[in-house]
Amino acid sequence: MLFRKVVSDDNSQLVIFIEDSFDFSAHQHFRNAYGEYNEVGGTIIVNLSKTTYMDSSALGMLLLLKDHVEKNNGKLVIAKPNETVNNILEIAQFHRLMNIEK
Amino acid sequence: MTNSMTKSLVKLALVVEDSPVQCEILSKLLQEEGYKVHTANDGARGVAAYIEYQPDLVLMDINMPIMNGYEAARKIKSISQKNSLCPLIFITSLDTDQAFIESIEAGGDGILVRPFSPDVFKAKIKSIQRISDLYGELKAFQLIQQKDAQLAEQLMTEVIESRNYGLNKIGMIQKPAALFSGDIHLTALSPNGDVHAMLGDFTGHGLRASIGAIPVSETFTSMTKKGFSLLEIITQINQQLYSLLPADLFLAASFASISSYEKTVCIFNAGLPDTYIFDRHGEVKHKIKSSHPPLGVLINLLSDFSFKAVRVDLSDRVVLLSDGIIEARNVAGEMFDIQRFEQAAKRGVLQGDICDIVLNSIAEFCQDVPQKDDLSLIDIPCHGWDQAFVNDNEIARHKSLGHITPFKNNTIAAWRWQLSLTGERLSRVNPIPMAMNQIKEMEGHAQHWQNVFTILTELYINALDHGVLALDSALKNSPEGFSQYFLEREKKMKALSAGELSLHLSYFPLDIGGQLNITIKDSGQGFDIEAVRHKLSMKKSDLSQLSGRGILLVEKLCDSLIYKKKGTVVEACYLWHI
Repeated sequence: MLFRKVVSDDNSQLVIFIEDSFDFSAHQHFRNAYGEYNEVGGTIIVNLSKTTYMDSSALGMLLLLKDHVEKNNGKLVIAKPNETVNNILEIAQFHRLMNIEK
Repeated sequence: MTNSMTKSLVKLALVVEDSPVQCEILSKLLQEEGYKVHTANDGARGVAAYIEYQPDLVLMDINMPIMNGYEAARKIKSISQKNSLCPLIFITSLDTDQAFIESIEAGGDGILVRPFSPDVFKAKIKSIQRISDLYGELKAFQLIQQKDAQLAEQLMTEVIESRNYGLNKIGMIQKPAALFSGDIHLTALSPNGDVHAMLGDFTGHGLRASIGAIPVSETFTSMTKKGFSLLEIITQINQQLYSLLPADLFLAASFASISSYEKTVCIFNAGLPDTYIFDRHGEVKHKIKSSHPPLGVLINLLSDFSFKAVRVDLSDRVVLLSDGIIEARNVAGEMFDIQRFEQAAKRGVLQGDICDIVLNSIAEFCQDVPQKDDLSLIDIPCHGWDQAFVNDNEIARHKSLGHITPFKNNTIAAWRWQLSLTGERLSRVNPIPMAMNQIKEMEGHAQHWQNVFTILTELYINALDHGVLALDSALKNSPEGFSQYFLEREKKMKALSAGELSLHLSYFPLDIGGQLNITIKDSGQGFDIEAVRHKLSMKKSDLSQLSGRGILLVEKLCDSLIYKKKGTVVEACYLWHI
């Protein structure tokens, strides 16, 4: 698991990149990645283009992130999951809960 | 606890050193640091002393007769590994890289090169002891965690799942991973003879993954036994988990309700891999995809969710599985996946044991790769769930009560109970479990309440479906129409804003039993009673018909069954003796 985060210059957008496996070992990193981003109306993008696998704890982390974003009246986008990861999101029917962009 | 406390108060050190003078000096310094010291003058005696005293610290000279320090260190480390870390420090005059490397390779935790001052020696001892203490704490935590995981697993299998119904016919794979992952298997019998099954997968591992299991199993089992529908049970479980669990903990689960009598299966899949229905040749007849987020995520179920209701043959089998099976990996990192599962399941159906064949097939595929997730599956046959249902003998026994005269309506009942539901409440509230609860609270538990449940359910559903909702039962006569019927029903239920249904019970105790009068009124248009009676009498000879069987059964169970007011009122009288 490898983490990278990029905040846009005007602070309107935070992008979190997660590489390799997104699982329970990512818990602390993931929280730290968005914990201090409290821009009202800001957008958080979780870029999964290099994520190879996701377990149910990771789904739980996305739900926590969703709560965080909603608290700030912001927007959440889950971007570019590969086929395996998209399948996991689909089984959990997460597109009914959040915006997933392929 | 007491043991480790006393041990931590007086620490033991072992000095292995062939020079009596050095031995004396080191012992003295250690005693000043609060250690009780044992000594040995060669490696072999050192090992023997280690076994005898189980010290907290070992100081080891390298060059000694009989057995040198390296060899003794290896022996000691091989013995001590399974217990706790006992730090071992080499004392030497050889100030070379080689000596240092060899010391560490032999299992040493540090090296002290002579000459050293007493203060340096004491500092070294303190630092190494600190690491050893941390290691001990870590070990203790690990042990607690291991116990928690064991407790979670035990709770799940021995306490919760041991109450499951029908295990002589239902196959289950329950193979927890080393780190138990919170899969839960539940089955229970509804009073109308339907079997409810649930396979669930909680987020996370260990105890954390199993805290939701107790309320879920309580709700699932008790609501099923009281006769609540699968939808009501799922709604309740979802709300419970939503209020109980933190936001990142949830339950992915698939639910099935199987009726041998109606030859139907209802499936609701919220977050698990496809649920299967196999025919008797092991071919996939239906795959029911997840259509809803896992339970405990949303405060209410999504309004557009749908049940999959399918018509089945009695030789079909319903198979629920969790992702541990699909995602089991082999050495090359490949997943077991859907295709391999379907092939194994097919062989399993043909050979009469899906669980066994699927498990073997996974074991063969994964070889020695450790299992990462729980392997879980429930295999339920569609036949053989009628036993709980009334049989003809019992009906004959009840009918033989003909000689007692039922009370008429003007006699005063021991109690009456009435409930009227209107409009939107009709789609939300199921009054049957309430009525049954009422009966049981006042009259205690008895075998014949099962018949009352059947009568109430059939009459109530008829009044709701064909009266208030005006659904045509002829639709149910073909398998395609059957699914359409349920879709139509769901749609109409959601849009329900008018209409009324009332349910009235009066109970009369008799010397040798009792009598229950049931009246149900609906606000529908009614129907041509004579025409329906004629149609039903034709059907009596053809029980393969899909509709109308419920009412025939009610007629058999009741002492009398009368439709009034163009069919908008039905009066049933049920008699029993003790």
